Formats: sequence, C-alpha cells, structure tokens
Amino acid sequence: MGIFNRSTKGHVTPPIEVTLERGALAFFSETIGETDPVYLDPEAAQTAGHPDILAPATYAVVVGTFADQIARRKGQPDILELINGDLRVLLHGTETYTYHGPMFASDVVTVENEVTDFTDAKSGKLEIAHITTRITHPTRGLLVEATRGIIHRLG
Amino acid sequence: MSVTPTTAQIGDTLPELTFGPISRTTLALYAGASGDHNPIHIDLDFAKDAGMEDVFAHGMLSMAQLGRLATNWAGQDRMRALSTRFTAITPVGATLTCTGTVVDRHEEHGRVLLTIKLAAHIDDGTQTLRGEAKICGTP
Repeated sequence: MGIFNRSTKGHVTPPIEVTLERGALAFFSETIGETDPVYLDPEAAQTAGHPDILAPATYAVVVGTFADQIARRKGQPDILELINGDLRVLLHGTETYTYHGPMFASDVVTVENEVTDFTDAKSGKLEIAHITTRITHPTRGLLVEATRGIIHRLG
Repeated sequence: MSVTPTTAQIGDTLPELTFGPISRTTLALYAGASGDHNPIHIDLDFAKDAGMEDVFAHGMLSMAQLGRLATNWAGQDRMRALSTRFTAITPVGATLTCTGTVVDRHEEHGRVLLTIKLAAHIDDGTQTLRGEAKICGTP
C-alpha cells in the first residue's frame, strides 16, 4: 500500500500571493552559479530592457516553495503535508515548466497547486504524485505552469 | 561561427557547462536560496536514519544547470519549455557536465521551434538527469 493520501486527487490549493523579493532572487541566481548580470544586477537588467532582474529558468519551483511556506504560516497545509509526503522515502522524479512570460524581481504573483493524479510504477515499488503549479501575474496573466512527479520508494 | 537559436540545425550542440564540485556548503546555500529545506540534502543524521550513506544534492540544483545551459545560449525570452527526469542521485563532491543537442527544428504556426535534448552526467559517467528544452528559433 502507498503512503500518499490519494483522496486528495483533484484538490486545488487556495491561491497564495508571493512577492519575488529582489535579494532572494539574486541569492538564488548566485547560488546556482549564474553569472549573467540580467539575473543579478538591477541596472544591467534595466539596460537590457527589463523592469528588474530576471528570474532564472527554474525559479518557478522556488516561488512554489515560498507559497508553501506562506501557506504554513497561515496555518494551511503545504502541498507535501496535503498529499502526506514522507521525506524519508521521497524522491523527485520529474519536473517540467511551460513558459508563457518572464518573472521579474518585485513581481507579485499568485500560486495555485493542483493534485492531478497518483500513479504506481515498478510493480508497486514506486508511487508517484503528480502536481501542477500555476504562477499567475495580475496583469500579465499565466507566467509559468510547472508539473512535478514526486516519488515514494516503497519497500 | 558559433551556433545560435536562429541558425541551429538538427545535430548541432550547445556550449557545454560544468558545475561543481558540489560541496556540502553548496547544498546548504541551495537549501536556503531555494527554500527547499528537505533534511535529506543537508543533515547527515537524517540521511543516515533514512538509510542513506550520505546526504545528496538537490535534483533541482542540477536542473538549474540545464536551465543555465539553455538560457545562456538562447536567452530567457526564447525559452518555451524545460523538462527533466531525475535518473540518478548526485552525490556530494560530484562535478556535473551538462550537454545539449538540437534534435528537432520545425515550424509551428509560422514560428520556428527547436527541441534541445539535455543531459547531466557526473564524474564517473553516470547520467543524473535527462531533459528537454523547447526554444524559439524564429529570427
């Protein structure tokens, strides 16, 4: 038997507002070894025609994690708690982004998670939770759609 | 002349990117920067309790390198999609080598769309990630 709470299939989390703080964004860019100044330096970003520093290609996952932190502070379950994820046996299986528009520092975006499915693999040795995260800007619309496969190693 | 998104043809390769060696410090910083505080990546006691010999790198730290490979080449505005499958754990001390190859180029609704096959390998040759980027190749 699996560990995930499969009754959460179809659940959509309440929208959470996240501000892309500039310092946090630059810290992330630095940590992943990014050297392109459009991800680090507001002046360079503006010279390149952007309103502020750009979010790197995988920053959607961070925005999703920040939304989880905010949810917890509001007393709501984060996505892992919702689906009953167990960190001791949890692996990240897949991650996909579809880009509709760039994210910049100082953007205030809305994050929504949907538990789309649960599947089994390797004769039941693995169970997979499928989560979709949508990041939306109030005027620029949907910016990024992320889908994630989270795996439990069972026995 | 180096290959660009507008000139790329099937079989062309993107400039390779290396990252590492990935130290425990890198993992601690990535945990803080990404908000991913899963102790399996930063707390040896937790990792051992979970039956692992050591902590291991966040998969998303490696995916970030595939993202850099793609955006350094094409720029963020040409990125249409990025996807990854995590195929093996990346141990502490590993250095990643990230590669990209153009595997498809076709027109869709009057726009050129490139498909780039991406991979990350560690020092011993193990592939840790495989993925794909969709990049706009319209001049």
